[in-house]
Amino acid sequence: MALKALDIYKILPKKNCKECGEPTCLTFAMKLASGKGDVNLCPYLDAEARELLGASTKPPVAKVTIGVGERSVTIGEETVFFRHEKTFVHPPGIFFEVSDLDSDEAIHAVATRVFSESFVRIGQSLQWSGLAVRCRSQSPERYAAVVDSIEKKGYHLPLVLVADTPALLEAALPRAGQFRPLLHAARQDTANEMSTLARNYGCPLVVADPDHDRLLSLATRSEGAIGQDLLLDASPATLRELLVSSSRIRMEAISRVPGAGYPLYVDAGGIEGTISAVLLAVLKFGGVIVTPPLDAASARAALTLRQNIYTDPQRPIQMSPGLYRLGNPGPDSPVFLTVNFSLTYFTLTSYLEATGEPCYLLLADTEGLSVLTAVASGKLSETTVKEAVQKAGLENVVSHRTLIIPGYAAPLSGKIEDATGWKVLVGPRDAAEVGEFLEKEWHS
Amino acid sequence: MTTLGQWEGSIVKVTIGATPADGGTRRATCTIGGDRDLPLLGEPGNLSTIPKIAFDVCDDPALWPEVLRLTMGDELGDPAAMAARAEREMGADLVRLNLTSTRRKGFSDFPAIRKTIEDVLSATGLPLIIEGSADPAIDSEVFQQCGEAAEGENVLLGTAEADRYRSVAAAAVAYRHGVIAQSPIDANLAKQLNILLREVGVSQDRIVIDPYTGALGYGLEYSYSVMERIRYAALKGDQDLSSPMISASPDALTIKEVREGSIQQRYETGCTWEYTTALAAIVAGAAIVVVRHPGTVPLLKDAIAGLTRGRGG
Ligand code: SF4
Repeated sequence: MALKALDIYKILPKKNCKECGEPTCLTFAMKLASGKGDVNLCPYLDAEARELLGASTKPPVAKVTIGVGERSVTIGEETVFFRHEKTFVHPPGIFFEVSDLDSDEAIHAVATRVFSESFVRIGQSLQWSGLAVRCRSQSPERYAAVVDSIEKKGYHLPLVLVADTPALLEAALPRAGQFRPLLHAARQDTANEMSTLARNYGCPLVVADPDHDRLLSLATRSEGAIGQDLLLDASPATLRELLVSSSRIRMEAISRVPGAGYPLYVDAGGIEGTISAVLLAVLKFGGVIVTPPLDAASARAALTLRQNIYTDPQRPIQMSPGLYRLGNPGPDSPVFLTVNFSLTYFTLTSYLEATGEPCYLLLADTEGLSVLTAVASGKLSETTVKEAVQKAGLENVVSHRTLIIPGYAAPLSGKIEDATGWKVLVGPRDAAEVGEFLEKEWHS
Repeated sequence: MTTLGQWEGSIVKVTIGATPADGGTRRATCTIGGDRDLPLLGEPGNLSTIPKIAFDVCDDPALWPEVLRLTMGDELGDPAAMAARAEREMGADLVRLNLTSTRRKGFSDFPAIRKTIEDVLSATGLPLIIEGSADPAIDSEVFQQCGEAAEGENVLLGTAEADRYRSVAAAAVAYRHGVIAQSPIDANLAKQLNILLREVGVSQDRIVIDPYTGALGYGLEYSYSVMERIRYAALKGDQDLSSPMISASPDALTIKEVREGSIQQRYETGCTWEYTTALAAIVAGAAIVVVRHPGTVPLLKDAIAGLTRGRGG
């Protein structure tokens, strides 16, 4: 159970000396209770108190790293159930699965894709995390050879080694063990041998059991043998089981139920509705998600969803008002005026970018209201537009004197012209039509 | 919060549609809400209700996503035909009739929307959602027409917003329909609008919250959490947020990713994009998801089946 601020306070030295950077021991206790403080900042704690507090104030989900070097993947360290409480910390690793029964050609095609495919979205490059290599041949030689050929190509990708028996993993580990692959999986009957392998090679280990209680007790047992380098596989077979098991484990992790505080391993390929399982695992606490290679459309959607879920949902819904440049606009480029509601901004920029026309986007301060509501409530008016034009120093930016306003703001065009001295061109109501508008109205 | 399934509050039940027994002509009604747990976590059919799919049809395809205009042909502008397809081929639970014709500059052909509503009502036996105008200047006339044309059918009328809710609410109260209350991705604004609507006589069991759904990659990151917050607040006992939610993402088929590549690729990407957005909304607590791509409905049906069926079920 997480300690409450007052329980923590009782353990602290109560010197109120401020050396921890907090004004009093009590505020330090509150910080620790919220999971944000660092116990080591108080120099007056004895070893026992430090350990007690350290264990109860560290993130409820353990941190695990898979792979080494630039492409290594770190997961865990999560502290909450809902992302509106606190931004989720580490996005899940998504691993494409290959099998040792596939041809070498097919395996390397997937490896190359995982290595090189990336999508750039809002300044971030979105990539696949690594390869899951499943042993289906049941032949230690074949499995070792496949793992060896992957490592020899020098992709330096994190691997998940998936095999039914410790003997199969043992065959592959001499080729890959030094790169911290994730081992799948320790089950009730193989837990001891698997733990020994994981310990010998210093690799993280997945423990698997479809029964919740047995899974957690297996994790607690393995913890004794190898420490906190663990993931949990609840082996769901349906989307419902995935949702229920993931939610329950995350909640129990936050409540510090023994054995629950580890990232989740999700084998989406083993769930009916694989693509949906990938998406659901991204939404609901997945740590490592293994899936057959995704088609182009699903691939992009999954990576975009992961980016969305792991951003800060508290980020203001308003854009800061002012002038934005799309492409590389010059003095002749069109100026689109709109509101500072961020969705309006995203939608309009997406359509404007699609036209390929460099332009300016001037956001008036409508306190984040959409065009319709801003017009109706007077937040988008000749006054706010005039202010936006002046603040941006627009007359020094472009050589023309034309503002394009949103279609729904048409009733304001006369007033805006009078107040600003700029000519107003009424744009389309729907952002989807800006391309056509530019062609028909701006260029003519 | 330490355990699943122990909450003070629950989601209000809202019924859409009316069968002949209730004075309407619908084949069946559609009830949403009633949940007493986080989305889909409770026992299906008891603590958790099963999410519903509404297929979106329009009376003027000019404002409909290009990817559908390029692939679906003339049928797209025939809402009655599309509504019939939604029911028979796709297996949707509801039809949303989007009166896009009213978005044209200077729209005034009010008798035409009446006829459209009547045509759609006779083409399908599914409960109806009607999305009216978005222009305060004609709202009153449009919603009056919608309310009257659908009288007895207990439709859901959209959309009320904080600055323009009176016309929709008046039509809903006068002709006994439900109301969609849309607020821009903000739980507090959703709460306020709920209160405003009740003040003008809309009862709680006729309000459905639309927290506005930004498309995947274009605002979903906010919408997802606002839906989670609203659901959580309702379960904690906040009456003003305890209405069930509807999610529609008008941009899911028009964002940049769906405008790139061959028409076939665009059609597929659009479907995936809309599906991913809707699935996230369901997981966050939406009781109804509204979609426009014909391919999205079967995908959602499969996912909803998977999400509500246990091992061996
Ligand atoms: S350093 Fe330790 S003793 Fe000093 S104020 Fe902080 S918690 Fe209290």
